[in-house]
Amino acid sequence: MLPASLDEAVDALAAAPAAVPVAGATDLMEAVNAGRLRPAALVGLGRITELRGWRYEDGGTAVLGAGLTHARMDRPDFAALIPALADAARTAGPPQVRNVGTLGGNIVTAAPAGDTLPVLTALEATVTLARSGGTREVPVSHLLTGLDPVRPGELLTWVRVPLLHAPQVFLKATGRSGPARATASVALVLDPARRAVRCAVGAVAPVPLRPLEAEAWVAGCIDWDGSREIDPVATAAFGEYVAAACVPDNYGAEGAWEAVTEGPTAAAVRLRRTVSVLARRALGRALK
Amino acid sequence: MTTDPIETLDADPLGLAPQVSRELRPCASYTLRVNGFERPVTDAWIGESLLYVLRERLGLAGAKDGCEQGECGACSVQVDGQLVAGCLVPAALAADSEINTVEGLSSGGGASDVQQALAASGAVQCGYCTPGLAMAVHDLLQRNHRPTEVEARQALCGNLCRCTGYRGVLAAVQTVADARAQEAEEAEAAVAAAAVAEEAPAEQPAAPAAEAAPTEAPAAVEPEPAVEPPVYADADAWIEHVPQPPAEPAPVPAQAPAPAEQPYGDGAGAYDTGVYDTSALTAAQPSIPAQAVDDQVYYQPQGYPEQPYQATPAHGTYVPTGYPDGHQQQNGYDTGYDAPVYEPTPAHGTPLPGTAHDGTPPHGTPYADPHPHGAPAEGGAPAGVPYGATPAHGIRLPEDDHAS
Repeated sequence: MLPASLDEAVDALAAAPAAVPVAGATDLMEAVNAGRLRPAALVGLGRITELRGWRYEDGGTAVLGAGLTHARMDRPDFAALIPALADAARTAGPPQVRNVGTLGGNIVTAAPAGDTLPVLTALEATVTLARSGGTREVPVSHLLTGLDPVRPGELLTWVRVPLLHAPQVFLKATGRSGPARATASVALVLDPARRAVRCAVGAVAPVPLRPLEAEAWVAGCIDWDGSREIDPVATAAFGEYVAAACVPDNYGAEGAWEAVTEGPTAAAVRLRRTVSVLARRALGRALK
Repeated sequence: MTTDPIETLDADPLGLAPQVSRELRPCASYTLRVNGFERPVTDAWIGESLLYVLRERLGLAGAKDGCEQGECGACSVQVDGQLVAGCLVPAALAADSEINTVEGLSSGGGASDVQQALAASGAVQCGYCTPGLAMAVHDLLQRNHRPTEVEARQALCGNLCRCTGYRGVLAAVQTVADARAQEAEEAEAAVAAAAVAEEAPAEQPAAPAAEAAPTEAPAAVEPEPAVEPPVYADADAWIEHVPQPPAEPAPVPAQAPAPAEQPYGDGAGAYDTGVYDTSALTAAQPSIPAQAVDDQVYYQPQGYPEQPYQATPAHGTYVPTGYPDGHQQQNGYDTGYDAPVYEPTPAHGTPLPGTAHDGTPPHGTPYADPHPHGAPAEGGAPAGVPYGATPAHGIRLPEDDHAS
């Protein structure tokens, strides 16, 4: 069914909690085509035009509709607003996928290599979950880590993102030059008001990771009042710090979670090199 | 979209099948608007992709099923004017959208300019990716009339082609963009001329301008025939094309000029066998005499109808060559000019007179001893005969001395 408004969609989901809300369907149909998913019913969200744009709120916040497509986020007007999210949307896939794939779908699917997820994590975005008769606000990191998952009958409607008016960088390492899944991605945003650097590393773990200690350390190295310069040595050290924090020694080992290895595995060394280069470049570009 | 259960199966005595089917296989009936035609779809599983419905239920097999993951782009179609991967769209949710497939590109009866340019620039080899590429190029040129190469590459990055290496596709994009820009310029010039003509004689309606205006957007508007939809949108065109004599080579680009780099011939008939019609061939050329080889046979280039081509002379036959223009031509070789006397090519191995080279020896003849004065002790090539024979592996050549 194709509800035309948010209320209709929420009511339809309340009536049939087993129904799957479908926006761009790029992840859903991949699973359906592969036989991993047999939906009991579909609730199409493509007709809900109110979710396909964004609005501004007091306190320097942009409220993005969950139905914003990646192609829409790639446009210059949006890129002026949240550049890192635009960069992530630009590299998210081929045009055929970006034309229909949505921001909300990217969050709800929570694929490890989802490109917008590290950006939203670094921005400390919150999402609005609507159900029939009410809404609630959840930090996106709680949603992704499963601390506070989407409940049956709930619909992700809005994504609240702070407007920082400062450089933001999203960098992604892939296996080929065309559109591809990230082997590692780094989102880094500066928050001059709070004198903070926020960084998230995607695709190296099931959820984006925040190297909090490295962020706090590097924020102390930056001359916030002046030209926001940093010693290149500190930039390189930040990269190493982020990589060591986000890639465990036993990365890629058998029985990955409990495995005890002597020193980092070869896969961990390789991935740490990738992440450290990405983080170093991201910080360098943000402070340039 | 209405969800309705599968009809109760009479063949099922226990009555279990409808229950199971309804839970596992919820179905829906809906109407898709494909290339301007309303196409009803009944009792389709809601998980069916648009690609599946187009191919299997509606018989529109243009979009191809490559990966079912949105990676390859072979299933590209347009939904509401946007290029999407058909395999990733639930068909039930595309019910009231405008769907354009590659069949719609040729709805005018012939291939569109994009398709002609793709064919002409060698962008088709196995052809599996071509419908998707045609849709991608069509979509790109709808949104961007003058794409740069980088923009074209970015727009086509979702279409994988393992055969051509994409250069032909990029050439086709430029070809179509140039052709359309030229058309638009001509249309503008026509409008300007009409405006000038309108000013001079004061009483002149704006008819020429109105005529020229539609050509400014050449490909965006596609005519919608008001007849019943055939199984294939261009089925009529196919039927028309089958008995065509080769006088009209079908896929030769009409308005699209040949691209800058074109590897195989001129594209107009070099490899375009088109439709065979041997009767036309035999009508144009007189039949070959039976004992043509035994007769006095001359090579006669095409274009001299009084001496039709008869047969290829045997190897070694004396072939007179004349200068066709400026000399009388009576017997095909009597040109009034002393043609140089050609002699038959000697057989292999025949020594040519007057040259030091005395012919390639027949196969199997042993080579002359490369070391007539005895091989050097270490087996290397003797000095002064640098390449007498390839030395065995591991044997040091004299020039390798510095490398040790």
